[in-house]
Order: sequence, then C-alpha cells, then structure tokens
Amino acid sequence: MQKNLAEFEAAGVHPVAISVDSPEQSRSLAAKAKYTFPILSDQKAEVIRRYDLLHKAAGPEGSDISRPAEFLVDSSGVVRWVNFTEDIRIRARADQMLAAAREIPH
Amino acid sequence: MADIVERRRNSAPWLAFLFTLVAIILNGLTFLTLRGTQVVLWLSFLAGLIAAVYGIVGIGRAFGRSRVFSGKVSSLIFGVLALLVCGLMVFIWYHARALPASAGAPQVGQKVPDFTLPDTQGRNVSLTQLLGHADPGGAAPKAVLLIFYRGYW
Repeated sequence: MQKNLAEFEAAGVHPVAISVDSPEQSRSLAAKAKYTFPILSDQKAEVIRRYDLLHKAAGPEGSDISRPAEFLVDSSGVVRWVNFTEDIRIRARADQMLAAAREIPH
Repeated sequence: MADIVERRRNSAPWLAFLFTLVAIILNGLTFLTLRGTQVVLWLSFLAGLIAAVYGIVGIGRAFGRSRVFSGKVSSLIFGVLALLVCGLMVFIWYHARALPASAGAPQVGQKVPDFTLPDTQGRNVSLTQLLGHADPGGAAPKAVLLIFYRGYW
C-alpha cells in the first residue's frame, strides 16, 4: 500500500484505511509499517455496518469486523470503482484502481 | 516353493511430501504477501489434494502390499502429514471465502454515505473533509480510496 502511495498521489487519489482497530492499535501499525495515509477507527463498526460490510463473528472472540472492500470515491462522493474480494487472501490490484482513477475528469 | 518377489521402492510417500511442500509454500506466499491470485490459490489447493492422494497410495502400498513395497515408516510420516496439510487447506479455503454478500454496499455510480471517524491521534475526520482536503502545497484530491480491512486487533 505504502509502496503504491506515490503512484496514487500522482493520480490524485488519497487512500484512507478503515477497520475496527482502536486508534492506538492503528497508530502502532502505522508506526511499524511507516504508513503516512490516514487510518480511521470504527470500533463499533457503525460505518462498516452502514456500508453493509459487516463480517459477523469473524474477529477475535466472535466479535464483528469489516470484510475487505475498496471504494474509489470521486470528489462528489460517487463510487467510481469498487472491489469486493471473494477470498480474503486475494486483495485488489493497484493497477485496476489506478485505471479507474485516470478516467475521472478533473 | 519360495515365493521370490523383488521389493520395489515406494515412491508415493516422497511424492506426497514433495506436493505437501509445494502446497505449503504456495499458500504461505499468498498469506505473507497478500498478493495471492486465484491461480496460485487453485494450484496450492491442487497440490494439497495430490499430496493427500499420494499419501494414501503410499500407505496402501506399504501396508497392503508390504511384500512388494517398502517404506512403512516413510509412508506413515509423509502420508499423515499430507493428509493433515490437505485438511488444513480445505479448512482455510472454506474460511477465507466465507464472506458476507454485502449486497447493500455502495455500488459504482452510487453516492456513498458520509461518516466521521477518529484517526490514529483521536481527531475526528469526516469523508467530506477528506474529499475536499488538500495536502500542504498540493491540489485537492481527485478521489479518495476507502480501504476497509479486517484489522489487526
């Protein structure tokens, strides 16, 4: 992710990561992995639920977490590209998303 | 009359071990890098199945036709290992794909709901802010990529 960041910024795309992790957990992740993009905490999974991404009981001790999903949202808040993986071992490829980003007029 | 049978090497356990290794390496790579592709996953699954088949064949040969085939110990070790790894792979396969349908999630062309969430410093950040936010000295973003992930807990 961080590796692709320069390419994302060049395409005018700002990544934002969201999970049920607490701000403290995300802070240590960001420090360890040297992430510079924003990481937001949805500990009660309210936004995750609103986006219908809740993966029930998939977290520690049967807690609810987010399924992996990526949305490319343009400046008017409209989805331009979306990816819902069907296997948690397979993540979105940056090139697919960047191609969609390039099609957004400035 | 002495029944002379030439003992043959039982290669099945070793093939089981080889395919077990292939399955473990392919699966491990996808987990470590999270750059798994469908093809690599299918290959690892296939390797696990082949390993299990060779494992069963190896045990069958060593114990069922022990006058012909050697390798009782190797067939047991590698056969059981192959079956364990194959079982684990089926288990992981099932769990990695047991994802919610997310039929109500925003689709292409739809407007996403706004939200406000705390960042790593505990400051509240809204999507509206992010969409209009410019980097120091940079232009406002063309788009924001929302990455929902499972988290590290």
